[in-house]
Amino acid sequence: MQIWVNGLISGASIALLALAFQAVYLPTRVFFIALAGIYAAVPFVALSLLDATGTWWLTAPVAVMAGLSLSLVAERAIHLPLEKKGAASGAQLIASLGAYIVIVQAVAMIWGNDPKSLRRGLDSVSHLGSVIVTGAQWVSLIGATAAIGAFLIFLRRSDLGLRLRALADNPLQFALYGHNVHRYRLLSFAVAGALASIAALVSAYDLGFDAHTGLHAILLAVVAVIIGGRSTFIGPVVGGLILGLLRSQVVWHMSARWQEAVSFGLLAVVLILFPHGLLGRRQRLEAE
Amino acid sequence: MNYLLHLIVYFDIYLIVALSLNLVVGYAGLLTLAHAGYYAVGAYAYALLSVNLDWGFVPAVAVGILVSAALSLAVSLCSWRLKGDFFVLASLAVQALIFSALYNWHSVDAPLGSLRNLTNGPFGIVGIHRPSLFGYSIVSPIAMAAFASVVAALCALVVWRLSDSSWGRVLVAMREDELAARGLGKNTRLLKVQVFAISSGLVAIAGALYASHVRYLDPTSATLDESILMLSMVVVGGVGNFRGPFVGAAILVGLPELLRFLSLPDAQAANLRMLIYGLMLILMMHFRPQGVAGEYRVE
Repeated sequence: MQIWVNGLISGASIALLALAFQAVYLPTRVFFIALAGIYAAVPFVALSLLDATGTWWLTAPVAVMAGLSLSLVAERAIHLPLEKKGAASGAQLIASLGAYIVIVQAVAMIWGNDPKSLRRGLDSVSHLGSVIVTGAQWVSLIGATAAIGAFLIFLRRSDLGLRLRALADNPLQFALYGHNVHRYRLLSFAVAGALASIAALVSAYDLGFDAHTGLHAILLAVVAVIIGGRSTFIGPVVGGLILGLLRSQVVWHMSARWQEAVSFGLLAVVLILFPHGLLGRRQRLEAE
Repeated sequence: MNYLLHLIVYFDIYLIVALSLNLVVGYAGLLTLAHAGYYAVGAYAYALLSVNLDWGFVPAVAVGILVSAALSLAVSLCSWRLKGDFFVLASLAVQALIFSALYNWHSVDAPLGSLRNLTNGPFGIVGIHRPSLFGYSIVSPIAMAAFASVVAALCALVVWRLSDSSWGRVLVAMREDELAARGLGKNTRLLKVQVFAISSGLVAIAGALYASHVRYLDPTSATLDESILMLSMVVVGGVGNFRGPFVGAAILVGLPELLRFLSLPDAQAANLRMLIYGLMLILMMHFRPQGVAGEYRVE
């Protein structure tokens, strides 16, 4: 039971980051690897703020705003100009990879390469029957669930969310109806930046962080997107939970060192057997 | 002087890497992130055969090429059905699998190279032999530089003949329009298997050169960062023709040397170098998507 609970908690934070990735990928088709840079940078900003102010109530919102702004800068400085030039998806991917490298190296030059932690002292522990949950795990679970829930409700219930889904469904038609596509692209990057920042903060609080954690986290998130299905917003959440549960089972039954092999092996299997993911709509591969 | 010779060896290694990656990225138009995996497979094959069985350079490298080419099926079969971003991801999965195999295939109570401890995991392999040809061991730096240059020249010759042949032209046809190439009766699936096998085989040679030059090998040479570095080298240098890889390898070897003049602290210099690579990738995509000397724009 403990294993399932641990898997669920780590799955929730994978799902949150996967949703952040999908928030950009689905409306804009940009493979936003620079999100890994944002994921790596935000905990360092939070750490500096925490040292200066000493309170989480100020630190957390400002750190999330910093991640959000970084995401907007990436869109305005890199992805939108490329889009206007009609660049291919490979060019967007490589430019995003470049942005990731720049952010991570800048972070490493400012704050150093050593691992750090946002948590002071020992963690509190609570018992739920036979299951033990730490305070940091509660933060992680509640933070991730709240952010995922808020974004999904925003998509379903608000007018803006409807337009974002319309943009994701058919960008050309959306533009023909007179909407300013560039403004909605900006919205999707803002959402992604904010969600990724929250994911970064909760996992940095739970597990600690260094300048190079981002790429690995985003790769897992992308695997979750593929497994869950890349044509919906709910797919990444399901994929993230499946991946989290699976990875915790691997730790229990085999060894922590086989986690990566199993995760990416699952990716390969899904890519070959269900190229559209478990919840994806079937369509011809050539249509993309 | 020794330092210059050392740089020449590195240039030769990167040149082979760039030439082989250019075949896949530039001629076949498939962006792959698994290249460092095959590089490491070649390096490990050479290291194990030379340390455990005392094999010479040529037979050990030949085995490395065969293993690497056989393993390349993992990527080429994926390329049958996937393209674009999703092929990149599949290659990433292969990369992660190769890395975790190299990293995890060890156990403390078994000797190196046995079935239970093939790679010695994170501890790496030490004391790899220098390359030996027909019983002569290549020891002096100048001989090593000459040897590496000859090997690189041979690889360049192979790539040049291939890209100039009718096979190379079909490859370009497939890159431009796969459906049309198939319509003309070209077997593009076979072609993909061939190009990945050749490219992985060539990069295995580069890996073996690296292992025999540095004489120490651990799984960090198979990390994703290495693959990204290789990809940025060919993207910056330019893909789709024969000149690009030379420029890319020269930039990769030359840039750290230029940074030396800035006399930064060591830790900062490594970060700054990577930062400049990242910046170059962004600027290239904006202003010269075909790279410094390339012909083909990444799709």
